Amino acid sequence: MIKEIVVASGKGGTGKTFISSNLAFFIKYHLKKEVVCADADVEAPDLILALGGIRKVISERHFYGTKLPIIDYNVCIKCGLCIEACKFNALRMSDRGPTVDYYRCEGLGTCSLVCPVDAIKFKEKAIGKIIVAESNVGIVTVTGDLEIGESNSGRLVYELKKDARNFAERKGAGYIIVDAAPGIGCPVISSLSGSDLLLIVIEPTPQSLKGAKRLMEVSERLNINWYVIINKYDLNLEFSKKMLSMFGPKVLGTIPYDFEVVVSYSRMIPLLSLMPSSRTPTALKDAFGKLFRGFVWEEL
Amino acid sequence: MGRVVTVSGGKGGVGKTFVAANLAKMLSKLYRKSVLLVDIDVSNPCVYTLVNLKVERREPIKIFKPELLKDKCVLCSECVRYCPTHSLLLIPKKELIFIEVLCEGCATCLYVCPFEAIAEGEKIVGWVNATHERDLMRVVYGELVPGSRQEGEVIERTLEFSKQYWDSYNYIIIDTPPGTGRGIMYALQEAEVILSVTEPTKLGLHDLKKLHRLVKRIGKREIVILNKYGIPYGNYEEVENFIKSEELKSYRIPYDNVVLKSYFDGKSVLEYGMELKVVNELRGIVEEVLLRKTS
Repeated sequence: MIKEIVVASGKGGTGKTFISSNLAFFIKYHLKKEVVCADADVEAPDLILALGGIRKVISERHFYGTKLPIIDYNVCIKCGLCIEACKFNALRMSDRGPTVDYYRCEGLGTCSLVCPVDAIKFKEKAIGKIIVAESNVGIVTVTGDLEIGESNSGRLVYELKKDARNFAERKGAGYIIVDAAPGIGCPVISSLSGSDLLLIVIEPTPQSLKGAKRLMEVSERLNINWYVIINKYDLNLEFSKKMLSMFGPKVLGTIPYDFEVVVSYSRMIPLLSLMPSSRTPTALKDAFGKLFRGFVWEEL
Repeated sequence: MGRVVTVSGGKGGVGKTFVAANLAKMLSKLYRKSVLLVDIDVSNPCVYTLVNLKVERREPIKIFKPELLKDKCVLCSECVRYCPTHSLLLIPKKELIFIEVLCEGCATCLYVCPFEAIAEGEKIVGWVNATHERDLMRVVYGELVPGSRQEGEVIERTLEFSKQYWDSYNYIIIDTPPGTGRGIMYALQEAEVILSVTEPTKLGLHDLKKLHRLVKRIGKREIVILNKYGIPYGNYEEVENFIKSEELKSYRIPYDNVVLKSYFDGKSVLEYGMELKVVNELRGIVEEVLLRKTS
């Protein structure tokens, strides 16, 4: 059984991609097991950069997540039923008949269904790309890249997770690491659905804690077990300690914030690879090790 | 109507909320301009944690949800067949099940049911809040109910709700969530000027570029705010080259622990000393960009 681990946070910039990239590196080079990464932050995908950048593109395809209604005005009788039926206010009456506001349209097809004369047909629209590529540290990453200004990110996330799973099955990989979007919205819910574990990355600020608690609510609703990693632990020791006692055994680890983190980012090399024995990487290894040492799974 | 400024940036955690809240504070406190701060980061709205204002109005944001009328349902499965999001499921001859988390509220089921066994119900997917006004400032923020997917809907309705105040304020500052999606595009379209906040890292630059494409498509004036300027080992050259090649006006807010402290304390950075370099740079943005008349 493939295990799918989602890395998320209620607030942006707490270190999701930092944790995801190093966790994948840990599984591949410390556990010596195959792993596939999935970048589900489709509005701002950059996981593969943190994994050293692209070495080789394996495949690339368009994702057609939206159906655009096309109205045949030769057939339309201007009855207005479609306008009434659309819950997204995407249709307005004009002289020639109803016109579609494509920015509001969710592409769910209700208009076509209620049309008594069958005047509404659909055209598929590409709203993003799914790129499977090997990174420079040798980890295959499936990246979803949503077109700018598009919605339906959740459907793209479903699709790219499917691709990641297929690839993992073909290669016999035991783990999928999903780097989720910030927040608790549609793409995050899609990232979580069907996954085995959620790692919530929190930094010691009230704003990050607030976001994390909202994410825990979502995760509990979807019945997914979560653990916490307190990142940038030493930015506010007092608050970190408060969170440690708040979440107790649910805390997988505490990661200090050293400038080597920025060095690893600017050089695009996972920190575990760059300086495996300094303070922050040691804390990362401790936290990740727990995951597989009976804390969650018994693998070591 | 007031002048609309949208603060965005692409990547999470670069300092959008910090910039939005502190520019608002500066405009109201130092320049006596009234400011409406609109927070559309509905996943985790944080602007209100930086200004000490109380919520005075709170309204639910609702969408359609099917109400299954068991006594009328004959388990014919028409709704299941047509539901585009697969949120209705039939256990043959037994039960019709509604999976709420998948439903996007299109109401197709309502129209296809031959037996009127589905009624128009509703579901609260978010809230829009407005604070009272104090010291020339008011905050409007949207909140997504955890477990709901309708982020775009909540963003749009929060923006719409905020418009009732737009005529009464000199400035409307919109704080966006990270990303480049539909909701963010709405907020960019409203703006007279867009402040794109980023940090000197490869990831910050990568996400800034994607946002920049969106801003260009919309055709708005864009100012880059390079935050956390001075962190060691940052990718300064690449970011500066991008700013130069795109001919963007830019500002550099120095990295200073006082920013984190102010964020943590829930205060404006102005309260930690007007002589701070951070404050000085923010003042530059206010005087050279926000207070200037554009032709």
